[in-house]
Amino acid sequence: MQMISVAEAASAVAPAIPLAYPAPYWDQMFSIWLSVAVGIYLVVAVPIFYFLYRYRYRPATNEQGAVEESGHGIEVLWTVIPLIIVIYLAVQSVAFYTEQRTPPANSLPVKAEGMMWSWQFEYPNGKRSLAELYVPVGKPVKLLLTSKDVIHAFHIPEAKVMEDAVPGRVTEMWFQFNETGEYRGYCREYCGTAHAYMLATIKVLTAEEFDEWLSQSG
Amino acid sequence: MQEAVATPWFRASFREWFLTTDHKKIGILYGLTSLLFFVVAGLMGMVIRLELTQPGLQYVSPDLYNYLLTGHGAVLLLWWAIAFWAAFTNFLVPILIGARDVAFPRLNQLSYWFFFTASVLVLITLIPGQHIKMMWTGYPPFSVHPNAGPTALYVLIVILIAGSTLGTGVNFITTVLKMRAPGMTLGSMNLVVHGLMASIVVQLLGVPSFVGAVVMLFLDRYLGTGFFDPAKGGDPVLYQHLFWFYSHPAVYVMILPGFGVFSEVLSTMSRKPIFGQKSMLYALWSIAGLGFFIWAHHMFSSGMPYWLRVFMSFTTVLIAVPTGIKIFNWVATLHKGAIHFNTPMLFTLGGIFMFLIGGLTGIPLALPAFNIHVHDSQFVVGHFHYVLGMAMTFAAFSGVYYWYPKVTGRMFPETLGKISFWMMMIGSNVLYFTQMVVGLMGMPRRYVDYPPIEAWINLNVIETVGAFILAAGILVTLIAWARGLKGPRAGRDPWGSPSLEWETASPPPPQNFDTFPVAVPADWTPYRFDGRTISGR
Repeated sequence: MQMISVAEAASAVAPAIPLAYPAPYWDQMFSIWLSVAVGIYLVVAVPIFYFLYRYRYRPATNEQGAVEESGHGIEVLWTVIPLIIVIYLAVQSVAFYTEQRTPPANSLPVKAEGMMWSWQFEYPNGKRSLAELYVPVGKPVKLLLTSKDVIHAFHIPEAKVMEDAVPGRVTEMWFQFNETGEYRGYCREYCGTAHAYMLATIKVLTAEEFDEWLSQSG
Repeated sequence: MQEAVATPWFRASFREWFLTTDHKKIGILYGLTSLLFFVVAGLMGMVIRLELTQPGLQYVSPDLYNYLLTGHGAVLLLWWAIAFWAAFTNFLVPILIGARDVAFPRLNQLSYWFFFTASVLVLITLIPGQHIKMMWTGYPPFSVHPNAGPTALYVLIVILIAGSTLGTGVNFITTVLKMRAPGMTLGSMNLVVHGLMASIVVQLLGVPSFVGAVVMLFLDRYLGTGFFDPAKGGDPVLYQHLFWFYSHPAVYVMILPGFGVFSEVLSTMSRKPIFGQKSMLYALWSIAGLGFFIWAHHMFSSGMPYWLRVFMSFTTVLIAVPTGIKIFNWVATLHKGAIHFNTPMLFTLGGIFMFLIGGLTGIPLALPAFNIHVHDSQFVVGHFHYVLGMAMTFAAFSGVYYWYPKVTGRMFPETLGKISFWMMMIGSNVLYFTQMVVGLMGMPRRYVDYPPIEAWINLNVIETVGAFILAAGILVTLIAWARGLKGPRAGRDPWGSPSLEWETASPPPPQNFDTFPVAVPADWTPYRFDGRTISGR
């Protein structure tokens, strides 16, 4: 059985050119949070275990706890420091999120419509495909999402982005694959019986292959 | 009905239980109903877990699976994480404040029977054809689609539960404000009373929004209105706002009473007053208040405006501050204590650790840059099982063990309690930590089946092993509680605590105390332990 650590699970993308954008922003956010979380965990857990050992009940030597303790200084400390930490995290997140949400100007717009239980994609020239999303490698793609019936959501694990497909509105997300191949897009909003099977195959082609596919009448 | 109140619960006849207005009997009724549903929904969870052990369909069809998910979620949230605290509120609050009963005993009785009726309706959904399959969130347009199952049943259940909640709310707020023992101030009251009260105030303020949302759902589905139908000018996202406006604060309804239990047990078993009692109160009530301004972090990918996503992200992370204060105060309470490691204390310490992990994994969910990949993934499921699942359950179990001698007059078997604790601690961490890891790898939630990705399969197998250890641990506690009914007599005050409930007999007489009023001195506090010792264990 193959074991996977948390860090490996999240940052499978390490090379200079990542497999997909905007995944690196998520990876950075993840590492920042993980360091903070492990730090806070230790700051709480280590004193707890020390106190549990040091101040355990012992007949005759430690039978009663101390009567009163005050510590306004330390209370201010553990109010202000966490406040600074979480504000920093939220500000950092906004900076990354803006990048994750803003499609580059040269993005290829593709309409994506969810329906129970499949995806239909429509390209700028009007060509359509069902359950298969064709995209060129190395070029950003802007998905314009909507739904025919209930709420769905489109998630691409490699790009680490998702957005809901809501009937009556158009929502946006963008991604870019840097290697050709086949990947999966998942429906990420519960939509009934075949929700788990509402997958799309993302076919990443070379620019030439993509142009050829796009020009063929579908 | 007065004659019914004159009999203590352990000698009461069926008729007396049925007609009772005694807050202690009603509390026990809530507790037993809640436990029954806890077991049923837990077993639903085990079927879900078994199904996910391998990709493909093994045990249940997708529709049955969707029903089990809906039932597991809705029942554990409403019948366990909220209703089990109603048992605590009913049994403990009047005694802890030195009152005879609640302010409106018949309203209290009515609240329980509303809850009971809703419980019967939940059992109806077990009948094939009546399965509700819209998840506990019931998002439209799906919930007005025939695939969702009987929407009317869902709406009716929510309305009955809301009736029960609102009745309990006004009743106990009045009780605590008007019926405290002479000399007891709001500030000196037990922290667990504050936890239970904060939870009740949140319900009172939030539930109407939830009811409004489901009533509109009902109208949309059966009368063809268009509140949530874009074709008629409505907006499905509106439902999500109304729903989460209550249902996010509802998580504090579930956990704030647990904070109260942690504080009581930690203080008693460390033989030390709780550190920073005042800041504990400020933290508790500011969580309850701030909780109403952060709901939309459940909707970061819903298509709502960008500025709202950013705003709700900032308000959400602020919750970490009062939460942190509580955790640090608990740590400081241990400092220079005389710490007893008995079953209630182990469950409290375990609960704090589960809450710590749950809290730390909650912070990134408040950050849209992180949420954008893990929303509706198994990571979220693992996170809220740490907080609402385990921290709440550990707190509830700790509370039951702690007040078991008071409720039953008997002592529970300590060894079984400790065995149960370690099994639950190990099982739940194996299960939910692994679940978060597989979620980070991209595995979605609410999937009956998943692509055969090797790492996902391995992690799902580990999760199922953890689930079985956890379930067995819970079973051991249920056995311990059953066997404890024949345990040795506990006496009035087995934990050596000055809190009011330990002044009266175990179990308490029908009028709670031998004499009234139960006056307390001006400098009274439930956390002064000098000269008292633990006789329990």
